[in-house]
Amino acid sequence: MSGEPPVPMDHDARVADIQAALREGRVPSATLARLQATRGGRLPWVATLTPAELLSVRSHGLRPIAAIAATCWMHYGWSWTEGHAQGWKTALTRLKGEACIAGANVVLDVKMRTIPLGIENSMDFTLVGTAARVEGLKPSDDPIVATVPALEFVKLLEADIVPTGIAVGAQYDWLNDWYGNTSQTFAGNVETSVLSQFWERIRQRAHAELRRNAAGLGNGVLAHVNFGQLFKIETDNQGKRFLGRQIVVATVVDAPKPTKPTNMPWGESKARPAVPHEIGMVVDMHAGRTPLTGHTRHHQSYASNEREGAI
Amino acid sequence: MPSDIPVHARERLKGLRSAAHSTGVFTSDFSVNEFLLVRKAGFEPIGLCMGTCVYHVGYQFGSWSKNQEMEVLSKAMYHARELAMVRMRAEATAMGADGIVGVKLTIKRLEWDQHLLEFIAIGTGVVHGEGRTGFRAHDGGPFTSDLSGQDFWSLLHAGYRPVEMVMGSCVYHVAHQGLLKGLSNIGQNVELTNFSQALYDAREIAMERMQNEASEAGAEGVVGVDLHEGSHNWAPHVIEFFAIGTAVVPISTELDPATIPDPQLVLSVNS
Repeated sequence: MSGEPPVPMDHDARVADIQAALREGRVPSATLARLQATRGGRLPWVATLTPAELLSVRSHGLRPIAAIAATCWMHYGWSWTEGHAQGWKTALTRLKGEACIAGANVVLDVKMRTIPLGIENSMDFTLVGTAARVEGLKPSDDPIVATVPALEFVKLLEADIVPTGIAVGAQYDWLNDWYGNTSQTFAGNVETSVLSQFWERIRQRAHAELRRNAAGLGNGVLAHVNFGQLFKIETDNQGKRFLGRQIVVATVVDAPKPTKPTNMPWGESKARPAVPHEIGMVVDMHAGRTPLTGHTRHHQSYASNEREGAI
Repeated sequence: MPSDIPVHARERLKGLRSAAHSTGVFTSDFSVNEFLLVRKAGFEPIGLCMGTCVYHVGYQFGSWSKNQEMEVLSKAMYHARELAMVRMRAEATAMGADGIVGVKLTIKRLEWDQHLLEFIAIGTGVVHGEGRTGFRAHDGGPFTSDLSGQDFWSLLHAGYRPVEMVMGSCVYHVAHQGLLKGLSNIGQNVELTNFSQALYDAREIAMERMQNEASEAGAEGVVGVDLHEGSHNWAPHVIEFFAIGTAVVPISTELDPATIPDPQLVLSVNS
């Protein structure tokens, strides 16, 4: 250990540079210098990957370069929902900027993070991941951003599927209940159809936007983060109002279309199997929760309030 | 044997050294899987190594409207962790360990004084079963690693060995927004660049420090890096960014990387 940490040089200049970099859409100079030194091998490479993940990605020709991160702290004024979508999109653009400087083709193991600082009407949208290069390929201008854990990234690659980025679908709407359709105090068992339809419309629009957003990156999405909130707001002069908001964030994949197997006269099948592996039994040596099930929590920005499956 | 180890601890350590003997006793906090995999990797546990440090964290007040590193706090967090780690490593050296696996570094707040923090580093000292010394750290002492026994095995089979647990800390004060600035934002969706900037600055400082430590340890890379954000009972706008990982070097003398088999991927049918 090197003892006490070095005091960074010229704090004010560093702060001014970061602010200018955020405005101008470039990588801050200190980060730029560190990433370039790491890319050139003058500093050790840094990976958020576990050793098992490191082994897997290396055996597939991927070399980690640097742990990178990007942040956009958004204040939401007129729209919480669109603020969230914009926050993630800005963070994503910045993350790609750092990956380009590091000379990467792909950002692995990208996690969505938020610091619980609790500053009203605002939130930080932070993405953390490992920039990596694919042996034999030139550094990319538009690196792939994979929000799945590194082992799952490799599993997908083996199945000829490439995770390509993040898609966001965010929608909100207001509902004015002028005629008291949601007042059902003595109504017994009956659907509150006004709210059902209102909520359904928002969710459908959010998912439609997710699909539009994903279309430019790949042909499918996996691993949704679903977050929705419905508020009731009562005011003296406007009566009862409802605000519904829904945000869906997902990993976009580019998967080859399945082809129908065509049996050849000599008994072979022409189609490539979807998963080119046999299934066998294994004993998992992990203590506690196994990463094999792919349930690693990969974001902590939304405490999911959606229970899915049987109640 | 370092002289700052208390007599009682030294006696205990002398006793543990005999654990490397087949009739002795070893202590560890390994799970069964970890124990088996560490042995499979060619190592034997010899005893738990522990270092602790109760630290009084000094005072520093951040300027209300300024983004700045709280250097007094950064240094305190760093120094206290280092003391705990150095003490743990001294215990391991005294046992004759080649390294410490599964180091857990934790911080506890002592209830009666908000400035007192207890830092504890604990891990299992291991020796190579055939007495090979090529696994020691760059300074000839035991390596340290926060990797579990499973990860230790995986790392060796990825062609790397751990050198040192490396870390970088930066405690940062995120400025409060002025009232006028706050009012001007009402109704708009805008980025609060001063907050974004604070996070960038703090994270960069922590990462730089960690990476420099790895560089000084002669490492090729750092695995299992995580960036923690935490607040240890400080003012609400004061956050610690803490980067931690295990610095690694390629195994050159003990294992031929060409002999490492490719891992087999598993699709779990458990849900």
